Amino acid sequence: MTRARLQAVGVSKTFGATHALQDVSVDIGANEVVGLIGENGAGKSTLMRILAGVQQPTSGELRSDGQRLQLGSPLDAARSGIGIVFQEQSLLLNISVAENIVLGHERAFMRNGFIDWRRLHAEARAQLAKVGLTIDPSTRTADLSFSARQMVELAKALALEDRVAQDLVILLDEPTSVLESADIEVLFERIRALKRRASFVFVSHRLDEVLAISDRVYVMRDGRVVASMGAADTTVPELHRLMVGRELHAEYYHESSQQPPSSEVVLEADGLSAAGHYADVSFSLRRGEVLGIAGVIGSGREELLRTLFGFLPQTSGALRINGERVRLQSPAAAVERGIGYLPRERRLEGLVMYMSVAANLTLANLGSILWHGLISRKRETVLADHWIRALSVRAAGTDALCLSLSGGNQQKVVLAKWLVAGSRILILDHPTRGLDVGAKADVYRLVRDLGRDGVAVILAADTLEELIGMSHTIIVMRDGGVTARVDAPAGAKPAQIELIGHMV
Amino acid sequence: MSVSTARAAAPGLFLAVLVVGICLRVPEFASARSFLAVLSDAAPLAILAAGLTFVILIGAIDLSVQSVASLASVIAALLVPRFGPAGFLAAIGAGVAAGLFSGLTYVTLRVPSFIATLASSGVVTGVALYISNAATVTIDERARVYFDWINGSALGVPGYIIVTAVILAACAIVQNYTRFGRYSLAIGSGEAAARAAGIKVGRQKVYALVVSGLLAALVGVILAGRQLSGSPTLANELLLPSIAAVLVGGTAITGGVGGVGRTLIGALIVSVLRIGMTFLGINIFAQQIVFGAFLILAVGLTIDPGKLPFVK
Repeated sequence: MTRARLQAVGVSKTFGATHALQDVSVDIGANEVVGLIGENGAGKSTLMRILAGVQQPTSGELRSDGQRLQLGSPLDAARSGIGIVFQEQSLLLNISVAENIVLGHERAFMRNGFIDWRRLHAEARAQLAKVGLTIDPSTRTADLSFSARQMVELAKALALEDRVAQDLVILLDEPTSVLESADIEVLFERIRALKRRASFVFVSHRLDEVLAISDRVYVMRDGRVVASMGAADTTVPELHRLMVGRELHAEYYHESSQQPPSSEVVLEADGLSAAGHYADVSFSLRRGEVLGIAGVIGSGREELLRTLFGFLPQTSGALRINGERVRLQSPAAAVERGIGYLPRERRLEGLVMYMSVAANLTLANLGSILWHGLISRKRETVLADHWIRALSVRAAGTDALCLSLSGGNQQKVVLAKWLVAGSRILILDHPTRGLDVGAKADVYRLVRDLGRDGVAVILAADTLEELIGMSHTIIVMRDGGVTARVDAPAGAKPAQIELIGHMV
Repeated sequence: MSVSTARAAAPGLFLAVLVVGICLRVPEFASARSFLAVLSDAAPLAILAAGLTFVILIGAIDLSVQSVASLASVIAALLVPRFGPAGFLAAIGAGVAAGLFSGLTYVTLRVPSFIATLASSGVVTGVALYISNAATVTIDERARVYFDWINGSALGVPGYIIVTAVILAACAIVQNYTRFGRYSLAIGSGEAAARAAGIKVGRQKVYALVVSGLLAALVGVILAGRQLSGSPTLANELLLPSIAAVLVGGTAITGGVGGVGRTLIGALIVSVLRIGMTFLGINIFAQQIVFGAFLILAVGLTIDPGKLPFVK
């Protein structure tokens, strides 16, 4: 490292009782690419948001070229030459590429109170050239492919260059998670070319990519930096071990209580297709089985899950539930067939956050608390009390708003809702997303208990490790089709590499 | 006391302060006669606003209630003299049909509720003008016996106030103890989660607009009885006060929070304000200004900024 262009010194960030970051110090040298890795919830995104001025540290400070730096807003960060390319793209889709690039800085292109479009487009073209894009700047942003939009986002961040005196620091928050490998190569080429005049912070959970592009790597875990090293001095397995903080061991996933499923098929897909999303998917799900679905974004996995819960009806092929052929037209139809859904967007689709724990628990089966056709508050409270104790949900009471619960406890309430509804098939879409280690362990234990009680589970997991650890059987999807079916019995789990080969 | 309980208790406290304040300033206000005047004024408003509450709770709006009430008054005035009580059913049926039409437009064509109901309001008013020849329809002497349940009294309490109390009690039960009531709250505060819990969201939205149409038609019938006539513009001035009653009572315009009980308090506040201002000798035009200012204030205070990142 040469001199430090941007530093975080002893930065901590707390949200209520949660310590998102604890005493984190990071140096970003001039013309350096710094990799930042860690599991979900390790604090990467919080650190990025602090560096970008979106959030402010609870304690500790930032320094720019050795000077103390106060960032009250993203605008402050931009003035200090710090730009961010967000994980979820921040471009406005209904306006042109050029307008997006200069958004918030239109004043520089005004003449007599009107926008000088010729000059604005020339500026946009110059910025696009930096990232190797030759598109017409007046193109509507929505008409670009996802990867092209990612490049526009990068160009927008690079446009800062002309407005500040210092070298830029560009924060890339998981820019590759949705890119194809060819596009990733293009992005890396641009980063290498731009390194002469900027520093980069690169966040990803694809360790091989981090090693390929970074000069140095920081490993985060549970809100702390646990290691930093030159990229040339480490390996993917070492990074993985540091990131997870333990050697892989089977009992984390309660593998010993993984029992062989029964032979009774509860759900069967036969040549299931949804035009434009996935095609010819066949599998069967047995009582007590955890069926894992592996696949990257764009593999059709998400859409398959949506079909199984009635959000996206199949266009051809057959779906059978308990032997009966069905086409699920709505979530209501899926719920009627005994299917429950634990969504990845827990706060949006999982719970009504401003309703009580009790009301959420009974929402999918109000019938169970009716008395002469009317809701019985007494029955509701008794039922809610029972489930709060059975799943050890930590809540102030049955009347507590779901909003006041921690992520892990919210997830338990969503699960309990489906248990109240008597669901025999559960679709778990990233059930441990955003949960801390202890809460994850609780979820794993609950899934095992459900399996023992004969509930069948379809699982899409946050990590391959989790998917392999929890599943009896794994199907792998790529480009909308099933590329492999792998058994994962207790004691003979497949290696990650066996699956990856079928995924990409 | 938490902020949300304070928010819930505020309208009731405000009503008490308002009544006491006016009584201190104008002692004549503290009489059975003026309280009865307040209740008479609040009764139709409260029913109309109760219907609106169901719609606002799911996060939508019904701008057709006043037209539906007017149409129902015309139908009742035309048909009850000829067919007896069956005329009431026709009037109420028209309200249900109007609600169903708005609801299906809103849900199946995905037209925003304020446009769907504004448009039905136009249609409904047109029908009312057409069948009444754009004139007031007087209910003749012989038919007035059919309206005794509205105009009579029991133990000194006017019939329409008893009817109003019964309707509001029924609304409170529907709201607090039925699937529809619970689903409405869930849809209003988290539509995606409600849908993913297997609730048929579209159907519940249609129900809400049907309930609103039904209650608006009841208001039309009650007004027709009290005035012994129906008119295509009878309830025209009631839309703004009834929305005000819902919001002043503490039901959030964004949905999910509130209820019929709060709306009753809101309707009483609106009526106390209207009649109190007359007692205080405030100019009739200035009353509109106070009213508008009050509505803005009430919405501003009931909206929970934490729940609402953007206001469109």
